[in-house]
Amino acid sequence: MKPKSQRLIILFFFISLLSLSTFLVLKSLEDNIVYFYSPTDINKKILSNNIDLSKKIRIGGLVKENSILKEGKKISFKIHDGIDEILVTYNGILPDLFREKQGIVALGKIENKNFSAIEILAKHDENYMPKEVSDMLKKNGKWKGK
Amino acid sequence: MIYEIGHISIIIASFLSFLSIGVFAFHFFREYYFFSTLIKNFSKICFFFVLISFLILEYAFINSEFSLDLVVKNSHSTKPLIYKISGLWGNHEGSILLWTLILSFFTYLIAKSKSIKSSAFHIAVLGVQNIILFLFCIFLLFTSNPFARNIDPPLEGFGLNPLLQDPGLAFHPPLLYVGYVGLSVSFSFAIAILLNKKVEFEWFNHLKPWTLLTWAFLTGGISLGSWWAYYELGWGGWWFWDPVENASLMPWLISTALIHSITVTQKNNQFYNWTILLAIFGFSFSLLGTFIVRSGLLTSVHAFASDPTRGVFILVILALSTLIPLLIYGFKNTHQNETKYFIFSKETGLLLNNIFLITSTLTILIGTLYPLILETITGSKISVGTAYYNATFSPIMIPFIMIMSFAPFLGWKKTPQKSLLRNMLIIFILAFVSSFIIFKFNNTSIFGVICGYLSILLFFSIGFAFFKKLQNLKTLPLNYYGMLVAHLGLAIFLFGVTGEQFFKKESSNQIKINEVINIGDYSVKLENVKNFKIDNYLSETGLFKITKAKKFIGEVKSEQRFYPVEKTKTTEAGIFNFILSDIYITMGEGNLKEGWVVKAYFNPLVKCLWFGAFIMAIGGILSLFSKTNRKYI
Repeated sequence: MKPKSQRLIILFFFISLLSLSTFLVLKSLEDNIVYFYSPTDINKKILSNNIDLSKKIRIGGLVKENSILKEGKKISFKIHDGIDEILVTYNGILPDLFREKQGIVALGKIENKNFSAIEILAKHDENYMPKEVSDMLKKNGKWKGK
Repeated sequence: MIYEIGHISIIIASFLSFLSIGVFAFHFFREYYFFSTLIKNFSKICFFFVLISFLILEYAFINSEFSLDLVVKNSHSTKPLIYKISGLWGNHEGSILLWTLILSFFTYLIAKSKSIKSSAFHIAVLGVQNIILFLFCIFLLFTSNPFARNIDPPLEGFGLNPLLQDPGLAFHPPLLYVGYVGLSVSFSFAIAILLNKKVEFEWFNHLKPWTLLTWAFLTGGISLGSWWAYYELGWGGWWFWDPVENASLMPWLISTALIHSITVTQKNNQFYNWTILLAIFGFSFSLLGTFIVRSGLLTSVHAFASDPTRGVFILVILALSTLIPLLIYGFKNTHQNETKYFIFSKETGLLLNNIFLITSTLTILIGTLYPLILETITGSKISVGTAYYNATFSPIMIPFIMIMSFAPFLGWKKTPQKSLLRNMLIIFILAFVSSFIIFKFNNTSIFGVICGYLSILLFFSIGFAFFKKLQNLKTLPLNYYGMLVAHLGLAIFLFGVTGEQFFKKESSNQIKINEVINIGDYSVKLENVKNFKIDNYLSETGLFKITKAKKFIGEVKSEQRFYPVEKTKTTEAGIFNFILSDIYITMGEGNLKEGWVVKAYFNPLVKCLWFGAFIMAIGGILSLFSKTNRKYI
């Protein structure tokens, strides 16, 4: 085979692989990205019916004092962002850092105007506050940290 | 006083590296014979000053010297000694000092190297290395001084994040840093090659051993981190596609591509432009990794609370060390000699390897940076999770590994087509049949079947290669063995992935003492729960008894720890070890009346993941000791 046609084959191969992967990337970005909302945002969305109930979302906020209820494995609690709050239900083991007044992020779906969590995220920085939550609190002027 | 010496040492080190840069710059105009001695000595002395400052900081941590701000924030006098030592790199300032130490150590090694014949080349390599070193010294001094004093020293420190109080932390960051920083060496060599008027192919030989060494450390560091996350975080997983994990995987993929590309350049002077480009990007990605971790822009388990100027500084280093080399590269305009090679040849194989590795790196890069970009543009906060990578990264790996199974049989330039295709057909069919026998796929997802098949395919291809060369095993170069062993490592790793991802069983329930959870064929009974006070934490330990068909298998302890100093709880998973598989138990909060929430996993073949990675690293080291590589270190 001539070097020229060889280069063409390689080029063709590379371009098709690149376009295939671009396609995969774009398609899965569309399906698999998860949006983050504050309790205020999500309540507004529920009120205006502007929400896709089948899509997973993340919400975050501070765990409200005296709102944690445990019934066996079923746990429910409220989280707030200083303005509004939402009830979260969860079935499973809570992360180590879960406690009242603690910032948390939950992954799940909206069910009957409550949030049904599949996962409570334990990700945090060394000040034990998820970045999404601290940004949100800063925006609402409720941030007490440094 | 002694801590001021530590501070001054860094200042002296930065001066020395600046002088080295001066020598390097001056060398372009005038060539004096003593230049090379001068820059070598500067580099060597520079390392000792960084070492002094590192040891002094370590001394401060061991003695809990609370007049240093850093020690107050990250240490506590009741902490066990090993975590006092490793506490140094459990924070931003200390880890940058460790980074600088490793960087200057590599520079020292290059300065000492006797294999580099051309003194102009030697000066250029050291010059580039010293530019990076200088930038990091400045970074330390101006944005992250580890020796900052606390005017009013407290009696006790804040302690170290309990998650980091683990032997894993003692080793994971240093190994990973050697990997990250080692990429600066291939970077410096590549730039030095570019700076010379003529391309000297001899010099490419130096790239290979350094890249292999770096790659082996990177492999070790990443897998140690994954193992640590598995047993310490208590989430039951080994890879979370966390931005910081991605940040370490991308340089790994690039350096893997680099190793394969240099092989072609060494053999027949091909691909050299590409090799240089990869060496440049390898280091860029390792800086990008540092930027992602240090800037705090992305949420991650690893994110340290950080100050934006640090992020900006690293971004500047990143931009400089990518753009300037690319400019030099662009103006260099080298012509590639055309050598003919056929479709069925090692060249094609290695080319495909590179194409696949680069494409997969790009998909990870997009997934990692997309949330950042979208947030900057639209303000909406999103996260890209495992599902994205399963849909993009994994499909690219399928043809990649299929092509990899050809690797042991390909020859340079041309391979006899007929026998190659016949052999491969046999291997493909044999692997197909055996993978069904071994895994007994039923109700397994199509990806599970493919993944299992690919691992068996690699085993067969390597086994076949070994069998074929049985007569002349002794005459084969060590590189070839290194390649086989590293590929074998990947086969073992994939074997583990198949087991862990597609045959995993889990169940969770709230159980009281003497109650049972069933996972697969095993039942796990909670025997008792006891409270202890150990070192610097309180422990609630549950004892679990594992049985299979009423036969006693073993006992395992799972813990909830409370660290009073840090006011934090951690979960210590109880792991019962079979040879390759694990039973993994975590225990949540609870009490005698209501019971404890217990989660149990059966993770088949999970140990193959880290064992495979370890074998890969061994392959790299083996190849490092081959005749062709050894003499160029």
